[in-house]
Amino acid sequence: MDWFATNRTMKESDNPSVSQLSRREFFKGLGTTALAAATSQAQSVAQELRKLQAEKVFGPGAVPVTLHVNGKIHRLEVEPRVTLLDALRNHLGLTGSKEGCDRASCGACTVWLDGRAIYACQKLAIDSQGHEITTIEGLAPNGQLTPVQRAFVDRDALQCGYCTPGFVMSVSALLRKKPQPTPEEVIHACAGNICRCGTHPRIVEAALIAAGRPAASTPRTEVISYG
Amino acid sequence: MRPFEYVTATSIETARQLLGANGHYLAGGNDLLGRLKDDITEAVRLVNIKGIGALRHIEPGPDRWQIGALVTIAEIEDHAELRKIFPGLQQAAAEVGSQQIRNVATLGGNLAQHSRCWYYRHRDIQCLKKRGRICYALEGDNRYHALFTGNVCISPVVSNLAIALTALDATAVIWRDGQERRLTMAELYELAWDNPTAHHSLRPGDLLLRVEIPTKRPRSAYLQVSEKHSFDWALVSCAAAARLENGRIYDARVALGCISPVPHQVAAANQFLEGKPLERDVAEKAADLLLTGAEPHEHNAYKIPMARALIRRTLLQLGT
Ligand SMILES: Cc1cc2nc3c(=O)[nH]c(=O)nc-3n(C[C@H](O)[C@H](O)[C@H](O)COP(=O)(O)OP(=O)(O)OC[C@H]3O[C@@H](n4cnc5c(N)ncnc54)[C@H](O)[C@@H]3O)c2cc1C
Ligand code: SF4
Ligand code: FES
Ligand code: FES
Repeated sequence: MDWFATNRTMKESDNPSVSQLSRREFFKGLGTTALAAATSQAQSVAQELRKLQAEKVFGPGAVPVTLHVNGKIHRLEVEPRVTLLDALRNHLGLTGSKEGCDRASCGACTVWLDGRAIYACQKLAIDSQGHEITTIEGLAPNGQLTPVQRAFVDRDALQCGYCTPGFVMSVSALLRKKPQPTPEEVIHACAGNICRCGTHPRIVEAALIAAGRPAASTPRTEVISYG
Repeated sequence: MRPFEYVTATSIETARQLLGANGHYLAGGNDLLGRLKDDITEAVRLVNIKGIGALRHIEPGPDRWQIGALVTIAEIEDHAELRKIFPGLQQAAAEVGSQQIRNVATLGGNLAQHSRCWYYRHRDIQCLKKRGRICYALEGDNRYHALFTGNVCISPVVSNLAIALTALDATAVIWRDGQERRLTMAELYELAWDNPTAHHSLRPGDLLLRVEIPTKRPRSAYLQVSEKHSFDWALVSCAAAARLENGRIYDARVALGCISPVPHQVAAANQFLEGKPLERDVAEKAADLLLTGAEPHEHNAYKIPMARALIRRTLLQLGT
């Protein structure tokens, strides 16, 4: 893990399996264009923070915290104990990330830290400085649904919708890393998201459709055998 | 969470100094923040150690690999070469929590995490481990608890990585009293065998720097059984590592998790396996040796046949 921002934006060459056109569309859809544009700025902010903040004791009262969220820099005053999730929801008005358990167990709060899915409830805001945070609001900055979001709508992969932003972030993070995942890889990547309404099979289908490889979902039952 | 101070350390020495008397090192925060939220742990100050660049590397080598304490579990899971050299460690990493946890959780934090006993984790219960007077699990619901212990607490070690690293005979290098100390995996946990308040042998202020893993056991495997298919703690876990020559096992080491406060190993089982053919009967005999003396409680006797099956499957997997 890099405490200070590094450019984790996927390069086109990392990803030879996707054709030119669909590749561009794919990344555009995932909002990486916004990330890329903000990266150099984020890096200089991170460097500045590093110098200013190393080995200096902050708190326990409110302290200045600089967050880089969805391509924008925000300066807040929060106590060190405030989680990234609370900072996003209560201080930045970004209520797309939900609070379910507040214990790293349900996935409703899933956001990206430098492009990787994390639980915003189990990360301090002050410890998120110098990283690029992407929330569900930042996935489609131009108001156009991403292929993943579109597939969730098309497959009706939600019921109450409370878990949906978290699932969309997990699926989208997977497709950035593995544009053509198998159903097992989708299940592995989404294991940390829980849907109370039981929409998992549709979510797996939606992920595969977004990746351009629809397949029948495979609900599995495992029998624990001692033999 | 109650209020606390926060500081980022950039070197091993300053991390220790900044910790003071009632501070805690903060790595990924998966365990520590959970405990702070539930008022299980008190903290005046958190010392973020992620500013210490020296602890962040995976360094391959011909005789041994070094993995820094700040390497994330996802980095271990995704490291293509590590997967070939230490498949058991990669399998153990892939089973930790969820993608979101693995992306943040560090090797050091995974090894130093606290007990998951539900009485210990309950904010209103002051059990023996929290310096209370009794163990609630002994008379209470102990379905997830240990079959072996050297003290009254029956909370087992649950770190997946500890089990794989024990089978691979890793050394944990820690910073203690201003110098590096080298501990075997058994030494890293031995205090928890005797002392009900301990989760491992680290003292306040000890900083895990890295683990070093010898490459002399090219075969390794890790398997666990959980109630859920994924994103679940193991009920029992097993790791094995060895060298195979003409279908025979050498330098074998087997370790079990979730059945003892320490990674469970039995020297007699490892010795028995030396030079034996990798066969079902041999694996079953090793399982008998590993499980001799198991003391089940009211709700966890199922762990004995489960462990027996896992030992056999894990050992046989070394040959595949
Ligand atoms: C829902 C859930 C499910 C989980 N499932 C599993 C599972 O299946 N298997 C499994 O093995 N684990 C599991 N975990 C535990 C998880 O893997 C650990 O909490 C995580 O690895 C801790 O690492 P961290 O970097 O987040 O540590 P932190 O929370 O930052 O630290 C944990 C403890 O270690 C100390 N510490 C951290 N780094 C060092 C260091 N370098 N030197 C000395 N002390 C240090 C801290 O002070 C703290 O006391 C699960 C956790 C959750 C919340
Ligand atoms: S098993 Fe250990 S941690 Fe659990 S209640 Fe007993 S003393 Fe406490
Ligand atoms: S609210 Fe973060 S995982 Fe449930
Ligand atoms: S749609 Fe209701 S929790 Fe998932």
